Amino acid sequence: MLEKYNKYKNVAKIAAGAVVCVESEIRGDVTIGARTVVHPKARIIAEAGPIIIGEGNLIEEQALIINSYPENILPDTDGVEPKAMTIGTNNVFEVGCVSQALKIGDNNVIESKADLGRNVILTSGCIIGACCQINTCEVVPENTVVYGSNSMRRTQNEKPQPQTLQLDFLMKILPNYHHVKKTVKGSGALLRN
Amino acid sequence: MASLLQPNRVVYLVRGEKKIRAPLSQLYFCRYCSELRSLECVSHEVDSHYCPSCLENMPSAEAKLKKNRCANCFDCPCCMHTLSTRATNIPAPVPDDPTKTTMKKAYYLACGFCRWTSRDVGMADKSVASGGWQEPENPHAQRINKLIEYYQQLAHREKQERDRKKMARRRQCMPLAFSQHTIHVVEKYGLGTRLQRQRPGAPLSNLAGLSLKEGEDQKEISIEPAQALDEVEPLPEDFYTRPVSLPEVTTLRQRLLQPDFQPAGASQLHPRHKHLLMKRSLRCRKCEHNLSKPEFNPTSIKFKIQLVAVSYIPEVRIMSIPNLRYMKESQVLLTLTNPVENVAHVSLAICEDDDPDGINRTAQILVPNTELVLAGKDAAAEYDELAEPQDFQDDPDVVAFRKSNKIGFFIKVIPQKEEDTDVTVAFKMRHDFRNLAAPIRPSEEGGDAPAAEAIWLTHHVELRLGPLAP
Repeated sequence: MLEKYNKYKNVAKIAAGAVVCVESEIRGDVTIGARTVVHPKARIIAEAGPIIIGEGNLIEEQALIINSYPENILPDTDGVEPKAMTIGTNNVFEVGCVSQALKIGDNNVIESKADLGRNVILTSGCIIGACCQINTCEVVPENTVVYGSNSMRRTQNEKPQPQTLQLDFLMKILPNYHHVKKTVKGSGALLRN
Repeated sequence: MASLLQPNRVVYLVRGEKKIRAPLSQLYFCRYCSELRSLECVSHEVDSHYCPSCLENMPSAEAKLKKNRCANCFDCPCCMHTLSTRATNIPAPVPDDPTKTTMKKAYYLACGFCRWTSRDVGMADKSVASGGWQEPENPHAQRINKLIEYYQQLAHREKQERDRKKMARRRQCMPLAFSQHTIHVVEKYGLGTRLQRQRPGAPLSNLAGLSLKEGEDQKEISIEPAQALDEVEPLPEDFYTRPVSLPEVTTLRQRLLQPDFQPAGASQLHPRHKHLLMKRSLRCRKCEHNLSKPEFNPTSIKFKIQLVAVSYIPEVRIMSIPNLRYMKESQVLLTLTNPVENVAHVSLAICEDDDPDGINRTAQILVPNTELVLAGKDAAAEYDELAEPQDFQDDPDVVAFRKSNKIGFFIKVIPQKEEDTDVTVAFKMRHDFRNLAAPIRPSEEGGDAPAAEAIWLTHHVELRLGPLAP
């Protein structure tokens, strides 16, 4: 199974309309949707399975989105299914965050230096505060805010606003100063679970 | 080895009402009494109130009226951060023509840290940027105000009776009206003077400061006593079976920050106005001189009077510690810095065995016998390339190095306790202090003005050297 997957390495499918800077590191089978901006020095690493990123996401510098092997499994073990990591629309991954969560919904904000473990499933509208770590095995309910040094939680009434203004601005400005990776022509039909 | 420079490694002993050991950076020096003072042996006086976020100054009377809260700034009820006002554009119908809509600005409060917004508790967006937000009214406000008025009156009456008795005992001839006036004048100037402070048995003196003026009618205020109820509201039936949703429940801290309501649910947490901070000045209790007086302006961090200990007393700091072993002599390198501009002479002495101050000692110590001479602090020396080399004859066994107003010297430490996790040594430091504040009396011989007299001060210094080497 894994050998078949390994054939598809070094293939990054970037939809038209996405701005992905050349200085970002994208390894493995990664699909990036339209209107997504990936800053330089962001890292998207698909080691143990493909990563599918939706539309309108904002992935800032030094953010790390990694689909890695679970800790007790070696890369060469047979019989391990590659699990796909899906990320929805309008998410913001701020500077320096680390996300290994397999399923992220829409309109989430993962603030700077936050850390998400592999077994977390984020639904929609969640805000994971700066330096907060979530490494439990759970589904974070909608509109949850995690904040503070003790990672306290509360629920907010509405989801955070999509960063449309910021995305438009970046899509105009970033190509002026950085080289952009080539996009793949054609439909950007995405697999969404 | 930055941990050696931590301030609480070297502590000085302050002999006040209580013996306090504190690092030199936290102590003050009264140059009229020529003694070290700590925060506990000075009296604190409030200078001014200011808001920490908008830095607005507020006179004390106004602060008391507003219960020490700022009028413009709010605190997030969730994380106690400062709230900021954000604006959105909402379409609103034009009053003339209901079919058309224009964009109007609506303001709401939001916290940058925990992302709480005023919409979370159901507060509607306001159309003005500031001044539109109201704090919810306390349901018991009326009863509390009535109780306060009643007790103010009671306090005033008790105080009058007490003072009348005192005046009557002391001066039988003085007319009553005059004595009332004297009391009133003293009252007006509050609890700053020595007379008022030294009266310890004044239980209701806080309220008496707010008492009615002499000329007002003293109407009798009566209150109904609180009634005890036999029946208490029963708990809801599903209290034990309903699952608790933790994000909905307020923490104790959030609840107690609003003692009026103490809401149990997060949807009832309303923002409160921000607490004011105050600038305080410190005064020596013995000689009543000011030790620290900050500037009035909240944006300024300078002081009008700043008699801190680091600018008068030489400071001892640990530079390097070798491996300490039980009952073996090791050399510890310390530095001594001279803060004044004159040459300082410092001599060290060990504590006697029966010294009551030295109870924390766990090691014996050998200090240099010779007097250490420190050059004065010269602010321009670092820019002066042609600085003359200092001409001090240093014993290389005692003095390790010398650099402008700093000197490094060795002491020998013999740890006495086996398995010691923190070797503590103590010694007495004796140095000369020239009091430049005292007026210089003209000398009998005439001629030049004499230099200020040098007095010798002794301080007890304790050092914590850390654990023994394994």
